[in-house]
Amino acid sequence: MTCDFCKKNIATVHLIRVQNDNVEKVNICSECARSFSFFTQDDFYKDLSNILSRIFQSEQGTIYEGSLHDPLGKIDTHKNRSCPFCGTDLKSIKKKGRMGCPHCYSEFRSILLPIVKDIHTDIVYRGKIPQNVPRQVKLEKSISDLRKRLKREIIVENFEEAARIRDEIRQLEKNIYE
Amino acid sequence: MNRPGSVTPGREGSSGSISRDPSIILSSRAGISRNLSNYKFPSSSSNEEKNQVINMIKSSTRRTEGLRELCCLRLNRMTRVQRQVILSDYQIEEDFISSLKGRALMVFPRSSIRDTATAIPLCWDDHLKIQCAAPGNTISMVYEKASGIEKIFETKLNFSFSSQWGYLTSNPASLGTALEISLLVHMPALAISPGIAEFIKNLSRVGCAISGYSDSSPEATGNIFRISSSRTLGKSEEEIVEEMNAICLNIVDGEKSARRELLKKDRLGAKDNVYRSYGLLKYARILSFEEALELLSILRLGLDLGIMGKIRDFDYFEIINMVGDAHVISSFEMDDKASEDEIDLKRAGLIRDIILKD
Repeated sequence: MTCDFCKKNIATVHLIRVQNDNVEKVNICSECARSFSFFTQDDFYKDLSNILSRIFQSEQGTIYEGSLHDPLGKIDTHKNRSCPFCGTDLKSIKKKGRMGCPHCYSEFRSILLPIVKDIHTDIVYRGKIPQNVPRQVKLEKSISDLRKRLKREIIVENFEEAARIRDEIRQLEKNIYE
Repeated sequence: MNRPGSVTPGREGSSGSISRDPSIILSSRAGISRNLSNYKFPSSSSNEEKNQVINMIKSSTRRTEGLRELCCLRLNRMTRVQRQVILSDYQIEEDFISSLKGRALMVFPRSSIRDTATAIPLCWDDHLKIQCAAPGNTISMVYEKASGIEKIFETKLNFSFSSQWGYLTSNPASLGTALEISLLVHMPALAISPGIAEFIKNLSRVGCAISGYSDSSPEATGNIFRISSSRTLGKSEEEIVEEMNAICLNIVDGEKSARRELLKKDRLGAKDNVYRSYGLLKYARILSFEEALELLSILRLGLDLGIMGKIRDFDYFEIINMVGDAHVISSFEMDDKASEDEIDLKRAGLIRDIILKD
């Protein structure tokens, strides 16, 4: 593989840059790599990031784009308010990139929804639930799991199983309100 | 601590065929984050509040079957080198010791580097992070182990949970299952192949985060990448584990075919590279950690491809865990303030002892 810069020597340094969805690869020979910096052999490996930033800075800004690392940076703090439980306000959440306490999630729910959707693309929780949550939460979770299965069975036209699941859902729904 | 003399150099010679399962997936790690309900997250708590949480968690482990063996390490009473050795042994990011106040680390003691490393950093980003790591592709095993420990804690502590969001974490990026599976992957052939760009792009498309081996440097030193699952909402724990297992197979396939391609297209070039690295490792007297990793990576590839028979077989993951600065200082009982050259000199000797045949 020849060097991307001098197009003569064999590239011995291979750098990969990932920026969101874009991936770029740079192949450099040691001579060109050295000319980017004031290298001594010692600094060679330590300095790779410097070369990388030099190459890319000249073309398109910095190496890393912060958006994915700092999702809470997008919070609009014009109408600043605080969580009544821990006292953390939106400004500090934005600055630290961390929520203050579990209650912040319900307090700032509407502000968080679009941000969480941005990070995870899906906003429905499908994981396990703790043993000690109220019975109703457990039932709701089982119902939503069954609904998911019901959909799948209908898609594959397994109507017998689908009918069985439907009845199970009805039974659980009755249980919730009893 | 690992004494240099106690190292098992591995099996003699190389089996020399590409079909031999090469050392691609170096290690698997599962981390589950949890917070106590009705307590502030660590980032907005005072040291006093954090210590209160730490004491609650600590006392929940006493007299509890399955947690009793956990020992709580006092990080502020350890030397810098001891802390770094512990972090690297248990695969915990250096950021954890950026502050020592209001933080604690619980670990299950282990006798060998091949054992599962289970550690629970307390009051880092979240109140607890239950983390299990083991060599090789052991995703399902480390997940089961971490999840089993979480289950025991659950009988003693109330974790913050919402039926809409799942487990609540201080960073919304881990909200939901709060589970992260990550792999330490060695892909020397794929890393220099033309397909690497597309490969990494695809990984990030399926929701994986990719970084270098050490958190402080963005490059993949020693052709090692850390590939982690990053989505925690919309998927169950089992789905996350299943997906990472599938990704694991893809990585192994990708690297294997890149190796075949490399042999087909440039066998001489590959061999030349392997022997150059051999020459450097054999004769260099001072070796930095990064350079050592790069050279060992290429030698490991040489062994896997069957084009290098002059050295002893070695376990790449084991060796990189022995030749870091902190490990070298502690194995040779050097002074904490040893100069870089002194460490580099010991490192070069240690590597020669492990890989060179008599």
